[in-house]
Amino acid sequence: MRALREALILVALAALPAIGEGFYFRDKVSWQSPIPASELVTVDQAKAWGEGAIWVDARPDDEFAKDHVPGAFSLNEDRWNELLPQFLPNWSPDKKVIVYCSAASCNAARDVAKRLRNEAQLKDVFVLQGGWEEWVKTRR
Amino acid sequence: MGEDAQMKLFWRVVDLVVGGIFVYAGVLKMLDPVQFGLDIDNYKTIPWFVSVRLAFYLPWLEIFCGLAVIFRFLYRGGLSILTALILVFIGATIAAKVRGLDITCGCFGHASQHWSFPQHMAIDLAIFIALAALLASELRRRASHDPKS
Repeated sequence: MRALREALILVALAALPAIGEGFYFRDKVSWQSPIPASELVTVDQAKAWGEGAIWVDARPDDEFAKDHVPGAFSLNEDRWNELLPQFLPNWSPDKKVIVYCSAASCNAARDVAKRLRNEAQLKDVFVLQGGWEEWVKTRR
Repeated sequence: MGEDAQMKLFWRVVDLVVGGIFVYAGVLKMLDPVQFGLDIDNYKTIPWFVSVRLAFYLPWLEIFCGLAVIFRFLYRGGLSILTALILVFIGATIAAKVRGLDITCGCFGHASQHWSFPQHMAIDLAIFIALAALLASELRRRASHDPKS
């Protein structure tokens, strides 16, 4: 009983700074989705950008080799150091970058987009909502 | 130094090491709760709105429980929570491996980003064994001091 009572006190104590920190970060965190809505783009929106967009395929090499969005560049984390220098010459500041992975549930697009923003210092980097799965649906 | 005193010293050292590990891990995650939320989300077991809230809460729970173990204040409660946390984490790591998820645990921030699955498991199991030993030692100590408890 004593352990339970002590555990409950600790559980309650930890909640106080956590709430404070959550309040401090309230505008810096996307509470409803791991990717903020401002960083997501739908297939229709992305298609409307036409030549003004560059597509980045964050899936593994074998999936990219099977099929990909026309004109997309392969840039996955497995071969990041090798593929990034191949991709960068094709980028220009006026172009939007659209990153996609297999489906809505994959993380690769989110991670690659983050690295493009943080490491390559690119602006206007978006993640395709629904990923490759969604692209294939709209292609039919 | 008598045998009792040596054992006491030994358990205090284990307290400090285990408590210190959790305080360190908690502080690393507390400094970047968004990244920790993404690390939890990688396990694909709970929805994002839960992951992100846990990402703000769990680091503080680890810090408070780690401090409880270090200072032996609310000691049993701290040990119990940390044991439960490490068990949940071991279970989640195994489940992720079985489901073929290639994830970073995020348990020690960027320091653990490139740990392999066996490295994760070895460290987690070592911490679990240390916690279980501390709990057993505490229960033995209490029983010998107060046979009714």
